[in-house]
Amino acid sequence: MINRTILASLAVATGLALPSAGFAESPTIKAIEERGTMLCSGHNGSYFGFVEVNDKNEWKGLDIDLCRAMTTAILGDPDKSQIVPLSWAQRFPALQSGDVDIIIKATGWTMGRDTELGLQFSIPYFFGGAQFMAHGDLGITEAKDLEGGTICVEAGTTIERIAANYLKSIDVEHTMVSYEKASELRAAYLANRCDSFVAWGPFLAVLRATELENPDSHVILNDQLSNEPISAAMRQGDEDFVDFTNWMLAALLIAEEEGITSQNVADMAANPPNPKIARLLGVEPGMGERLGLRDTWAREMIAEVGNYAEIYHRNLGEESPYKLERGLNNLWSHGGVLYAPQLD
Amino acid sequence: MASMTFANFDWGRFKRRSFATPLDSGITVVVYLVLVWLLWQALSWALFNAVWTADGVDQCGKDGACWSVIHARHRLILFGLYPYEEHWRSTLACLAIIATVVISCFPQTWQPKRLAVIWIVGFATYYLLMEGSLLGLTQVTTDQWGGLALTLFLFSSVVLIGMPMGLGLALMRRSEMPVVRGFASLVIDLIRSLPLLTTLFTAAVVIPILLPTWLEGDKIWRVILAFGLFFACYQAEVLRGGFQAIPKGQFEAGKALGLTYWQILGRIVLPQVFRHALPSTVNNVVVTFKETAIVIIIGFFDVLASANAAFGTAEWAPYYIEVLAFVSLIYWVFLFSLGQYGEYLKKRMKVAQR
Repeated sequence: MINRTILASLAVATGLALPSAGFAESPTIKAIEERGTMLCSGHNGSYFGFVEVNDKNEWKGLDIDLCRAMTTAILGDPDKSQIVPLSWAQRFPALQSGDVDIIIKATGWTMGRDTELGLQFSIPYFFGGAQFMAHGDLGITEAKDLEGGTICVEAGTTIERIAANYLKSIDVEHTMVSYEKASELRAAYLANRCDSFVAWGPFLAVLRATELENPDSHVILNDQLSNEPISAAMRQGDEDFVDFTNWMLAALLIAEEEGITSQNVADMAANPPNPKIARLLGVEPGMGERLGLRDTWAREMIAEVGNYAEIYHRNLGEESPYKLERGLNNLWSHGGVLYAPQLD
Repeated sequence: MASMTFANFDWGRFKRRSFATPLDSGITVVVYLVLVWLLWQALSWALFNAVWTADGVDQCGKDGACWSVIHARHRLILFGLYPYEEHWRSTLACLAIIATVVISCFPQTWQPKRLAVIWIVGFATYYLLMEGSLLGLTQVTTDQWGGLALTLFLFSSVVLIGMPMGLGLALMRRSEMPVVRGFASLVIDLIRSLPLLTTLFTAAVVIPILLPTWLEGDKIWRVILAFGLFFACYQAEVLRGGFQAIPKGQFEAGKALGLTYWQILGRIVLPQVFRHALPSTVNNVVVTFKETAIVIIIGFFDVLASANAAFGTAEWAPYYIEVLAFVSLIYWVFLFSLGQYGEYLKKRMKVAQR
C-alpha cells in the first residue's frame, strides 16, 4: 500500500512537472500489465444478474462482463481477468489494500465514498433506484399505505438510509428490520415476516421474476425513492486509470449508438462507414496513444464481449431469465439517460 | 441410546409410563400422531414428491423438493470456484484431509512421531494437489479454492495449529515465571475479548494495508493463523480447567520421585488433563467447525458461500431450501461423527479410570 501511494504521488508529481506529457501512464494499468492479470471484484455468493456463478463454476453477469471488457482492452484477452470474491463490507478496504484493481460491484456513487473513503468513480454505467415491493394481498398501492408496517432492508447499504429519509419526509411510522444477506431478506419477506421490502429496483424486479410461485402476488410500488448512479470505483490518485475506465464505458455506448456489435465489428473495421467509427475501432490512430494502450483496444473489446446493449441483454435483458426492461438504462436517443462523452 | 432397538424395547415399561391414566394415553396418542404427521410431511417433501433428475426442473413444484438443483450445482457447492476440469484434484484433496483426520482418531496412532508424520503427509498431499504447480499440474492459487474442500482445510488447519498453541498457552499461564505467565494471560484475555469476526477481518483486510507487500503472505495463511490463535486461546482456558482438577500433590509426588518437569507433565498430568477437558474440547472443536462459515465475510468461498452462489441464479433461485438442506446435511454428517467420536473417547477413558 505504502509503495503504491508513493508511486501514485510520484506519478502525480511527474505529471505536474511535465504537464505536456503526450500520453497517459497509469500506475494501475502498468501494474496490471506487469502482473498479466486484472483483479476485479466478485461477490461472496451471488447478486442476481450482476455477479453470478454458472454451472461450470465460472463467474458471469453484467459487472463481470464489464471487467472482462476492461481486461480485453488492457491485456487483449478477457480470460486474463481474475475475479476476487468480496463481501459488501470488504470491498473498499480490499481496493485500498490492492487486493483488487477496481470495484465493479453494483456500487453507488455517493459523496461520502468519493471524498472520505478516498475513491474515484467512473461515469455511471447503470441507473437504478430504491423501490418498495409489498405483498399484493395487503392492498398497498403507494408508500403512504405502509403506515405502521414492517419493512425489511439489506443492512449497510445506501438503501437503508434512503428509505428512512423518504418515509420520514412523507411522515410514515414504520419498523425497519435489517438483514445481512439478500437471500435472508428474500426469505424473511416471503415468509411474511415483513409487509414490504425496500431494495434496489432492478433487484426487486429480478426477485419477482424468479419467484416462480406467484409473480403477480407482489406489487412493486411506483414511489421512486432515489435514482442511484452505479459506477466503477477506483483508488484516488490515478486519474489516468479513471480516464481509461470512462473511455472503456464510453466505447461500449458509442458502439451501441453506431450499431457496432461483436458480430459485425470485423466488417466495420475493414470498411468503416464514418470517421468516428474508424477512430473508435483503431483504423485511424488516436484511440490508443492517448490512453497509453493499443489503437485497437476498443475493437478487440467489442469483438470479445460486445457493445453495451449486448452485455445488458445477455445478463439482465431479453436474453436473460430476468427480462428487465432497459428503461433508464437505454441510450439517451432511445429514452434512457445513458450517453457517452464526445469522441474527437 | 443406540442400544434402544426394537429387539430389546421394553414394551411393559413404555405402557406403564405412557398409558397410565386416560389423560396420559390421550396425550401420548396426540403427541405421537403429531410426530408421525411431521415425519410424513418431511418425508413426502424430501423423498416421495421430490424431483431427482437434473433435466426434471420443469416438473419441480411446491409440494416436493427439487433435488435437481443439487444435481446441477453440487460441484459448485463442494468445490467453489475451483476450475471445473480440475475437480478430481479437489476431490482427492478432500479425501486426503478426511483420511488424515480419521486415521489420527485411532488410538494406535497416538504417538507424537506417528501423528506428526500422518498430519504432515496429509496436509502436504492436500496442498500439492490443490496448488498443483509442484506436481506439474496447472497452478490453482488459493483464492480459487472453495466449497467443502476449503471448509475442511480451514477447519483442520485451525485445529492443528490451535491445539498445540492452546496447550502452550495453558502451560505458560501456569508458569512460575511472572513475565511468561503475564504474557500468556494478556494474550488470552486480549484475543478472547475480541469478536472472531474482527480478528479475521483484521487479518484479511487490515494487515495488508499496514504491512509492506513482501511481508503480507497469502490471505489464507493469515486467516488460518489468526483463527488458530483464536482457537488456541479458548482451548487454553479449556485445558486450564483440566489442570485445576488435578491435585497439587501429584506434581509434588512426581518431583519427590525425581521426575523432570516434562516427565511429570507427559506421564502423569497431561493424560488426566485431557480426560477432564475432553467434553469441552469436543465442544470447542465442533463450534470451530461451524464458525469457519464466518470466513464468508472476508470473501472466502467456503461451503456456505458456494451454497449461496448455487441458488444465486435465476434458474435455481426458488430452490434455496434444497441447497441449504444439502449443506446442513454435510455439516451434520461431520459434526455428528465428531460428537460420536467424543462419546467413544469418553468411554475409552472410563476404562483408564477403573
